[in-house]
Amino acid sequence: MKYLYKLGLLFTFLGILSCDLEEDPYGFYSEENFYQTEADATAAINYAYDALTYLEYSRAIYFLGDLPTDEIFPKNDEGIDVQNLNNWQVSTFQNNNILNNFFKYAYIAINRSNAVLENVPEANYDEQFQNQIVGEAYFLRAWNYFNLVRAFGNVPIHKNVVQTLNQTSAPLSENLDEIYDLIISDCEKSIELLGINQRLGRADKVAAQALLAKVYLQIASAKENGVSQYMEMNREVNSMYSMAEQTAAQVLEGHSVYGFEDNLLDIYDVEMPLGSENIFLLSMDRSGTIEGDYSKISKLFIPYIDGATIYLPNPNGTYTPSHDGWSVFNTQTEFYNSYDNSDKRKTELIVDSVYNAQAELSATYPGAIVYPFSRKYIDPNFIGDKTSTKPFLLRYSDVALIYAEAAGPTSQAYDYVNYIRNRAGLNDLESGLSIDDFREAVLRERKWELAWEGNRLYDLRRFNIVTETVSEASGLSKDEANFYPLPQREIDLNPSL
Amino acid sequence: MEMNITLKNSVILIIFLITSIYAKAQVGISGTVTDEDGIPIPGVTVLEEDTSNGTVTNFDGEFNLEVNSLDSQIVFSSIGFESKTISIPENGIINISLQNDLQQLSEVVVVGYGNVQRQDLTGSVSTLKTEKIEDIPANSIERNLQGRIAGLQVSTPSQDPGAGATVRIRGGSSLRGSNSPLIVVDGFPLGDAGNLKQINPADIESVDVLKDASASAIYGSRGANGVIIITTNRAKEGKTNVRIQQQSSVSYFNSEVDLWRDPVLLAQINNESRINGGFQPLYIGAQNATGVYYPSVYELQSGEWPNFTSWDDIVFRDAPISNNTTISLNSGTEKTSFNLSANYFTDMGVYKDDDYSKIGYNLRVDHDLFEDFKIRFSNVLSKGNRDANSGLAYWRNPIFPVYDENGDYFLVGTNDYSHPVAISENRLDETKTTDVITSLALEYDIFDALKLTSRINYKYGEYINDQFFPSTYTEAGDFNNGAASINNWQSHNFVTETFANYDETFGDHTIGATGGFTYENYLQRNSSLGAFDFVNETMQNENIGAGNPELNRVSNGHVETELVSGIFRLNYGFLNRYLATFTGRVDGSSKFGKNNKWAFFPSGALSWKLHEEDFLKDVETIDQLKLRLSYGISGNQGISPYQTLSRYGVSQYYDNGSWVTAIGPGFEVGRAGQGGIEVLWGGIPNPDLKWETTSQYDIGLDMALFNEKLSLTFDYYKKHTRDLLRERILTPSSSYDRIWINNGEITNEGFELSVNANMIDKEDFSFSSTLIFFTNENEVLDLGGVAESGLLIDPNTGMQFEYSGNSLAQFRQYPNILAVGEPVNVFYGYKTDGIIQTLQEGIDAGLDGDLAQPGEFKYVDVNSDGIINLDDRTIIGDPNPDFNLSLGFDLNYKNFDFSIFFNGSFGQDVINTQRFNQPSNLPYRWTLDNPTNDYPRLRDGRQTYFSDWWVEDGSFVRVQNLTLGYTLPFDDSIIYNARIYINGNNLYTFSDFEGYDPEVGTDGIYWGGYPRLRQLTFGLDLTF
Repeated sequence: MKYLYKLGLLFTFLGILSCDLEEDPYGFYSEENFYQTEADATAAINYAYDALTYLEYSRAIYFLGDLPTDEIFPKNDEGIDVQNLNNWQVSTFQNNNILNNFFKYAYIAINRSNAVLENVPEANYDEQFQNQIVGEAYFLRAWNYFNLVRAFGNVPIHKNVVQTLNQTSAPLSENLDEIYDLIISDCEKSIELLGINQRLGRADKVAAQALLAKVYLQIASAKENGVSQYMEMNREVNSMYSMAEQTAAQVLEGHSVYGFEDNLLDIYDVEMPLGSENIFLLSMDRSGTIEGDYSKISKLFIPYIDGATIYLPNPNGTYTPSHDGWSVFNTQTEFYNSYDNSDKRKTELIVDSVYNAQAELSATYPGAIVYPFSRKYIDPNFIGDKTSTKPFLLRYSDVALIYAEAAGPTSQAYDYVNYIRNRAGLNDLESGLSIDDFREAVLRERKWELAWEGNRLYDLRRFNIVTETVSEASGLSKDEANFYPLPQREIDLNPSL
Repeated sequence: MEMNITLKNSVILIIFLITSIYAKAQVGISGTVTDEDGIPIPGVTVLEEDTSNGTVTNFDGEFNLEVNSLDSQIVFSSIGFESKTISIPENGIINISLQNDLQQLSEVVVVGYGNVQRQDLTGSVSTLKTEKIEDIPANSIERNLQGRIAGLQVSTPSQDPGAGATVRIRGGSSLRGSNSPLIVVDGFPLGDAGNLKQINPADIESVDVLKDASASAIYGSRGANGVIIITTNRAKEGKTNVRIQQQSSVSYFNSEVDLWRDPVLLAQINNESRINGGFQPLYIGAQNATGVYYPSVYELQSGEWPNFTSWDDIVFRDAPISNNTTISLNSGTEKTSFNLSANYFTDMGVYKDDDYSKIGYNLRVDHDLFEDFKIRFSNVLSKGNRDANSGLAYWRNPIFPVYDENGDYFLVGTNDYSHPVAISENRLDETKTTDVITSLALEYDIFDALKLTSRINYKYGEYINDQFFPSTYTEAGDFNNGAASINNWQSHNFVTETFANYDETFGDHTIGATGGFTYENYLQRNSSLGAFDFVNETMQNENIGAGNPELNRVSNGHVETELVSGIFRLNYGFLNRYLATFTGRVDGSSKFGKNNKWAFFPSGALSWKLHEEDFLKDVETIDQLKLRLSYGISGNQGISPYQTLSRYGVSQYYDNGSWVTAIGPGFEVGRAGQGGIEVLWGGIPNPDLKWETTSQYDIGLDMALFNEKLSLTFDYYKKHTRDLLRERILTPSSSYDRIWINNGEITNEGFELSVNANMIDKEDFSFSSTLIFFTNENEVLDLGGVAESGLLIDPNTGMQFEYSGNSLAQFRQYPNILAVGEPVNVFYGYKTDGIIQTLQEGIDAGLDGDLAQPGEFKYVDVNSDGIINLDDRTIIGDPNPDFNLSLGFDLNYKNFDFSIFFNGSFGQDVINTQRFNQPSNLPYRWTLDNPTNDYPRLRDGRQTYFSDWWVEDGSFVRVQNLTLGYTLPFDDSIIYNARIYINGNNLYTFSDFEGYDPEVGTDGIYWGGYPRLRQLTFGLDLTF
């Protein structure tokens, strides 16, 4: 009989013994159960790269780099944020979602890089493997801070992964030196840790060198041209030019993997992501399931024609099929006209007539094609709206022009510029130019060569000529034109500012 | 309303305590015990005074007892009756009648881990005996509670077979968590109230609703929304009874379905609308852009057009017949009682082939293992089957036939996904559920005053959902060339509890104490298999491996939570006049953040029985006058598990030419932006996350007069909820968008009044009525900081608000907002002032373009800035009722019984989204010939703003229920009780609302649909 009473009391202890109250994650990862294997580290660095592909960030390459310049303007019924950005309505910029998303995603990518930098060295991986992962994380952190500083100037600095509520706010960098010191040091570590290995979707040593060259040139020319904030930097203009020159030279000559593509159209061939020009491409593929994994960038540049497949004429007499587009980025007529009529970058890379499947002319500009459009983003194997068209983040020709601009009118510099001009079917650049005239000539070459590749705004900013060049920006102060304001939400919600 | 009560359970319990067997009596006595009206009373305890020798009366009120001494006094007692003590007469035969006790006051109220008598209750608890509602067939008890209990708001927006109800006690106090009360069945906390389909309502004896904090704090972190305690039947001692309850119901619409009956008018209206909108008219006798031929108005008028289909006749059943059968068997001996009941329930939907059925049984066994040691066991099994075929297009264009000339389904264009016959015959959507609830309890009377209870409860629930969408006829199928899925879900809920109850009186002091603890573990798992693109669709989803392997989708989920609690309650009474209760519960929950794992929920209550005071004691008319005052704190842990943990995101990255998995900090918690393309990032843990806290005070008055012919309960309450679980926005440079935090405050306050009047109470004739009135006023006090919560500001008043609920596509706007200083879900939109009659009037009103034309809505320039824009929006309605009122009458005359129940809700506003798209309203449009101020002109493509034009008063009074019964006069002993009845549910609704029915969800949005169903039930209740 007594045993039954005890049985009753047993219920009691069942409760006590099994109480723990700690939740264990089930079916998801956290820092507690991650960074254990090499596969984990690989997945972690891929997550950092993946942040670049979200359409909030990847489309902003053009919304920031090309739209607010003399290259393109948006179609009428694009959203208000797009219009405001194009029209330099600077009073609205703090609440502009395109700018806010660009800002946010730079930090998302930085946080993912920081997670790698903080956790991977702690684990015991093979040294070579670890160097590669950590080196790439340094590259990505530098890449994203460079995006931020070019767009906004001073920004909050997060050097550690954000894992708790009180880590969510960070103070602004004290000055540009603080940010650039971090960027340069990250690039240097990346160069040290990485080897040369061209691979779609991942950065290598050459990418880090190319980025670093770009960073040095940015500092040098912005400071030389009197861009505020840069004027206060401790780094010296000439030493920055010379560092840019040296670093670019390593990209151009230090290996045999990357080089010029002889044929212009090959540079932009979506089936040649490992072409020799492509130092760092954003990795997207039409087989992806969400936008960002696949790309609709082609739709932004191509005008709407009639919904049917269009065929673009190739110099060799063949045709390349494509879907038509949404007419988002309209080419500015003046920009189109600025090309020499014999410039192949106009005749081959800008389309003014399309054909149908029977190779019959079906639409022309002016006419059913509302603007001549770039064919840098064409995927002949498109699936509906899905394409593999990719933003060109770091290109060999870009670095060649960086070298030329940094070095000034040396014969080596002339050689690089002239190679690019000759490839486009143009004559050599006028020889014997002064250093200033030469740099302006290189800037013009960059405008034509790197059009629609997300570079133009930053070039204009470091030359401090946005207000003179972009009619929508005329009348603005230099600072308004050279730096976007921090997002209002950041100002409201970051107590450390 | 709780008058005709027999307290079977308690009777049994007390009998068992008192009686024990002594077999040494020498003298026999016998007799019959009846009530005042001469009706035998079974179960009366007959006890030889000062001994433990006694017995109980049988079902005919008869008893036999061997007494030790003829000089003994015999005590007759039964709950519900005043005890009597009598000397043994010489012949040894005692025929006595017992007086009715004051029934309500001695009624036992279940308060969680114990019971109290109503007269000793200090908190606010309402009790409903289910005999009031057992004539209404129901899948779950909740729907039948509508209007029956003050402060309990039940709405039933869905008419789907087997659908549950939305239940609120004293208003909603959470924005992101659950607002449903906790439901507890025989001590087993099962979760949110709403659809307790596992328990056959016929097995339920009573429902107790814990409303104030004093009552609900014993359920701690789950008590803030109130608690509904369900007590099921336990067999009484006596002979074996078989009871058959049979209900057959027929349903039909309470109004006509609003459909086009005149194709000519349909075509004219449609053409007019398209022409006014600048579109090519459709009904011109030509093919439209997608190749569908639409006849001209002439063709329709002249009868040349051969087709007219009444789709409602094809889609709907004429009069769906449902069935509810319960057969129960119960028996009780001195040591063992058991109750076995089986139920077969069907609910045939008004759509053809839209069915629900459920079969289940319920077994309860109570056994006295020893004199002081009782085992109670129960086991419930419930299997449901929902064969869904709802949402068919009864509104389909009547000019199209069902079949084309080849006998195939007639489809309108290539993307026609609404052919009701095609969908009915080809789509599969079936859900099978299984629920098992098992409970084992041990009760040990350590000594008279102290009882130890230990219980293990286990509930298992599962469903399997089979779906198949064929490649033609359905959208999901068309996109994927056929879509099949199997979805599995199961849950395990395990609860152990051990507690002691101590009740003792020391002179003038009465003490009741309860203490113990409980452990709960909840585990839920689910998995889903999806396959697409089938070569052959005849197997539907039977072979999920037959789809295109590249498109297969699998997913799974897992949730586990734990709750460890300590409970205590102390009742103290002094002189039977002053009562005090202190209650507390300590909860430790795995769901809370690691810095806030434990919570304490205290409450206290005081009560003063004025009627026991000398100055009222002798006032004959006053049976009870009691004041109650309570204050306490309870919680709501309505967050999903794992919200306080860091959570990494997983995605795909195209690395080196192939897709690889990418993992890291930042987890996609949702999407925003136009088309939902922008990802929102979360996954950052908040280790401080905790429960929502509701503090509540309650002032109550209980009164009973004229020998309980009139009784009244009044309560005033105010609830203040703090630390609302919400998401706050993080600074963008954090790389996260949101984190769960506790901020925001809401209050609810209201009055409740219940009045019972037993006007006539005679043997052959009784008449009683019940009135229930209650209000709840809700106010959002705080939503957190403007920046961190992302609040919007009304430019005219400075009011802080955010959108809530769903966007309405027809307005492209969220109609509901949460605004500081306003009730939840108020409507926010434009005001209108009739219809524009002249262009100048439109321009003067601040409108331009199409919107300024005659026949358009005349929006009001609220901020008088000369233009109509978003800044002219203001609060234009409130979906929360001002008050609820219900009134019931019960009449018994000889063998007839009659009851009628009215239920009403007053002052709530409803958004009638169908106010200008129905055959009943479109013809009243504005035209040049009919320059009305009531309706706009027809114009296809109009961008309509959400305005007060769409808001209507949703007040209604429903003749909710009416029963007429007749008890058959069987005198022979085989049939113990037999009653037949007819019951009408939802018989008529009085309302000015223009749609079918104003009873809608808590957001106040009326979506249209089909009319309410009236239900007529024919019932038979037999006991052998």
